Amino acid sequence: MTTRQLKPATPRAARRTTQARTAAKTSAEPALTHEASHAFGDAQIDRYRLANGLTLLLLNDASAPVVSYSTWYRVGSRHEKPGKTGLAHFFEHLMFNETEHLEAGEFDRKLEESGAESNAATWFDWTYYYEALPKESLGLAVKLESDRMAHLVLRKPQVESEREVVSNERRFRVDDDVEGAANEELYKLAFTKHPYHWPTIGWMKDIEGYTPADCRAFYKTYYAPNNATVVVVGDFAKADVLAKVKRAYAPLATAKIPTEETRREPMQKKERRLVLKKPTPTEKMLIGYRGPALGDADHAPLSLLCEVLFAGRASRLYKKMVTELELVSDLRGWVSTFRDPGLFEMYFTMREGHTTAEVSSVLEVELARVRDELVSETELDRAKARQELSTLQGLETASGKAEQIGFYETVLGDPAGVMRRLDALRAVTAEQVRAVAKSTLVKESRTVVIVLPNGGSEAS
Amino acid sequence: MELEGGAILFALESRTLPIVSISISTRSGSTHDPSEKEGLLRTSLRMLRRGAGKLTAAEIEETIDQLGAELSIDVGPSTMTIYAQVIARNVEPMCALIATLLSSPTVPQDELARLVRETHAEIMESRDNDRSLAERAFRRAVFHGHPYGRSTRGAHATIDRIKRNDVLSALRKHLVKGNVAIAIAGDVTVERAEQLAQKLVGALPDGARVKDPTPEPEVKRGKHLVFVDKPERTQAQVLIGGLGTSAHDEDHTALAVGNAVFGGTFTARLMKEVRSKRGWSYGASSRLGVDRRRQSFAMWTFPKASDSAPCLGLELELLQKWVDGGVTARELSSMAKYLVRSYAFDVDTASKRAHQSLDVEILGLPEDYYSGYTKRVLSTKLEDVNKAIKRRISTTDLVISVVGTAKDTFDAVRDACGELTSASVIGFDAD
Repeated sequence: MTTRQLKPATPRAARRTTQARTAAKTSAEPALTHEASHAFGDAQIDRYRLANGLTLLLLNDASAPVVSYSTWYRVGSRHEKPGKTGLAHFFEHLMFNETEHLEAGEFDRKLEESGAESNAATWFDWTYYYEALPKESLGLAVKLESDRMAHLVLRKPQVESEREVVSNERRFRVDDDVEGAANEELYKLAFTKHPYHWPTIGWMKDIEGYTPADCRAFYKTYYAPNNATVVVVGDFAKADVLAKVKRAYAPLATAKIPTEETRREPMQKKERRLVLKKPTPTEKMLIGYRGPALGDADHAPLSLLCEVLFAGRASRLYKKMVTELELVSDLRGWVSTFRDPGLFEMYFTMREGHTTAEVSSVLEVELARVRDELVSETELDRAKARQELSTLQGLETASGKAEQIGFYETVLGDPAGVMRRLDALRAVTAEQVRAVAKSTLVKESRTVVIVLPNGGSEAS
Repeated sequence: MELEGGAILFALESRTLPIVSISISTRSGSTHDPSEKEGLLRTSLRMLRRGAGKLTAAEIEETIDQLGAELSIDVGPSTMTIYAQVIARNVEPMCALIATLLSSPTVPQDELARLVRETHAEIMESRDNDRSLAERAFRRAVFHGHPYGRSTRGAHATIDRIKRNDVLSALRKHLVKGNVAIAIAGDVTVERAEQLAQKLVGALPDGARVKDPTPEPEVKRGKHLVFVDKPERTQAQVLIGGLGTSAHDEDHTALAVGNAVFGGTFTARLMKEVRSKRGWSYGASSRLGVDRRRQSFAMWTFPKASDSAPCLGLELELLQKWVDGGVTARELSSMAKYLVRSYAFDVDTASKRAHQSLDVEILGLPEDYYSGYTKRVLSTKLEDVNKAIKRRISTTDLVISVVGTAKDTFDAVRDACGELTSASVIGFDAD
C-alpha cells in the first residue's frame, strides 16, 4: 500500500464515510451538502456532496467570462482485467456517442454550437471529461454530463465504430511511434503483477475483442455519481451551479463500486533488459528506476533530483551528454505521478555514431555522484524555481486550474494538492535529495529498454 | 505604443497569476535565408543564448533557470520570436538578461560549430516523426521553388555553409529597433512594462524595418503524389491540399468558415465521414495556414495501411463535393455559432490577447483581423462561403503526400488518386 505523507488537509475518505452514514439516516437530509472549504492560493475551493455520493468542487475565477466543467471518474486502466485491457480508455471514446436522450453526434453538435471545447483523457488511475464553455452555457455541460453518466447507449454499432478508431489511435501512438513502443515495453517489463503492466490504450488483441456486453458491464460498474467528482472553475454564480447540479444529478442512482484488489508489485531484485529493433535512424534507451507514488514523501525530492539531472540546458546530464560529450541529441526524465509507486523514467536519443553503452557509462558516473554527494544549493534553488514556474503555467486558465484540482482530488483526495506540493517542493533539502537518490537509483531494480536501428528505406 | 527607433509595444496587465510573458518578434523570418544557407536565421537566433557580453552559454542557461524562467525561440517563414516567461518577482533581471543577449551576442566559433552539429542530429531525428515527414514533403511540393517550401531548420548541406560572419550579419540586419515588436503581458503594470520594453529596445542597434522580398506563391499545376517510403508502417500519414488563403483576401473569413465546416471540428464533415462513420482514422481535419503571403490548405488523416487507399479516395470525393456543392445553410449557422461563441477562449488570458496584437503588427494582418473576427463571421452569407470555396480551393491542382511502406501500399494509393501529373517515391531518410 502507498504511504501518503502529503496529507490532504481534509481527509476525504473519512469524511465520505461520515456523510454516507448521515445520508442514510434520514430522508430529510439535504440532497446537497457543503462539506468543506480548501484554500487554493488566495482563492477557495468549496466541496459539496450529493446524497448519492457525487462530489462537487467549485472554484470561482472571474478573470475571463468562461467556465471549465470537468468530470473525473475514479476508474482507469488499473481497474481492468487481463484480456479486457484498454476498456477504460475505450469509454473515453464511447462517451461521446449516443445516449437514451441524444442521437449520435448530438453531444458534440450541441457543445460546439454553444462555443464549447470538449475532450477527455484516461490514464492508469483515472478518466476525465471536460468542457470549456462561455459562462452562459454552463447549464448545457451539466445537462450533457449528467445524461451520459447514466444513459449511454452501448450497442454493437457504437462499439464496432469506436473499435476501429481506437485501433488507429494505438497504431499512431504506439505501433508506428518508436518512443511510444519503447515506453509500452518498459512498463510491461517493469511491472509483473501490478496493472501498470498493461498500457492504458490496451493490447491490440484485447481492443479487437471487446463486446457490447463487456462495455455495458464496465459502464454499470464504474460510471456512477458515487465514483465521480465534478469540478467547476470559472465565472459562475454559486447558487446557480448548485441548483443545476442538484437538479441534474440527484436522481442518478449509486453503483456498488467493487473494492479494488491490491496487486502489490513484488520487489525487483535483478535488472531487466530488452532490446528492440525499429526503423529509426539512431539508438534509443529508456530506463525505469522504481519510483514513489505521488503521495509519498519521496516524490518531491525525487522530482527535484530529476530537475537537477534532466531539466533545462543547465542540468547535469544535458551539460555532460548534449553539450560537452555530444553523445545524445535528446534526453528527458520524469517521475511518474501515479497513485501507486511507479517509475523514474529516463529517455535518451543517441547521436549518430554513438551507442547506448557510451551513454550508460557516463550515466553511471553521474548517478553515483548524486548518490554520494550533496547537490549544491544553487542547483537545488534552480530546480525549485523551474518547478514553481511550471506549476504556475499550469494554472493560467480556468481549464488548467480545473485539471489540477480534479487530478489531485482523484489521485490524492486533496483538491488543493498542487498548492501543498509547491510547499513540499520548497521545503526539500539537499540531504533529502541525496537520500532519495540512494534509495531510488538502484541498478538491480531498474528496467532498461534499448532500441536499435534496423536499416533504412529501400528508396534511399 | 511606439517606442524608440520605430519598435512597437503591446502591454497588458493581468493580476491573476504571478507570471509575466515577454515576446520579441521580428518582421522577418526564414524566407530571408539565402537558398544555399537555408537555416541561417534560425541558427542566428539560437546563437543568442550561446554567449553574450561576459556570459558564456552555460552561465546564460544557469541564470534563466535561477530566475524561474523559460526562454525559447521560434522561427517561421516571416517572423522570428524570442519568447520568455518568468516568475513575476524576477521580471527585471530576466529582461536585463534578454537585453544582454540582444545587445552583445558574442557568437563564439566553438559554440556555432556545436550548434551546427546539434542541428544535424535534429534533422536526423526528425525521421522518427511520420507526421513531420509528410508535412515536409507536402510543403516542398506545394511551394516548389518558393521560400515557403524551405525548411526553417535547414538541411545538412546548407547548415554546414553557415559561418560566424553570416550569423553576425543576420543578427545585425534583422534584430534592430525598427524591425521588432514586443508584447509584455501578465503580472506587471503597463507603465512598468513600458519601462522594461524601453530597456529591451535600447539594447538593439538602430535600424529600419526589413522588407519582405517573398513573392506570392504560385499554384503548382496538376495533381502530384509524393510517397515517402518508410519500412514497417502499420498506418499511413496522408496530407492532401494546395494553396489556400491570404488574410487580405476579401473572402478570407468566408473561406475560413467553410473550412471549419469541412474539417475544423469534431462534427465537421471529414471527422463525421472518416472517423465517426467508418472508423478509418483517429484524426481527420483540414486547416488553412495564415502568413504574410498566401499559405496552404491541407487535409490530414492517418488511416491503417490497408485503409489508406480507400480513405484517400473518400477524402478526394468529399473535397470534390465540398467544392462543387459548398456547405448548407444549417452547417453555416451551426458553425458560425461555434466560431463566435468559442472566441472567448482565444482571449481568455492577457498573454493570448497581447499575442493577437503582436501577430497583426508583425505579419501585417488587417488591423481588425482579430478584433473584428466575430462580427465578420456573423455577417458571412452562405453564398459568400460557397463562392470562396469554389474560387480558392482546387480539386485539380493538388499535392498528395503520403508516408507509408511503399511495397505494401504505394500501388493502391496511386490508383486511389485518379489521374496524376506526377508520382514519386522518396526514402524517409533522404534528407
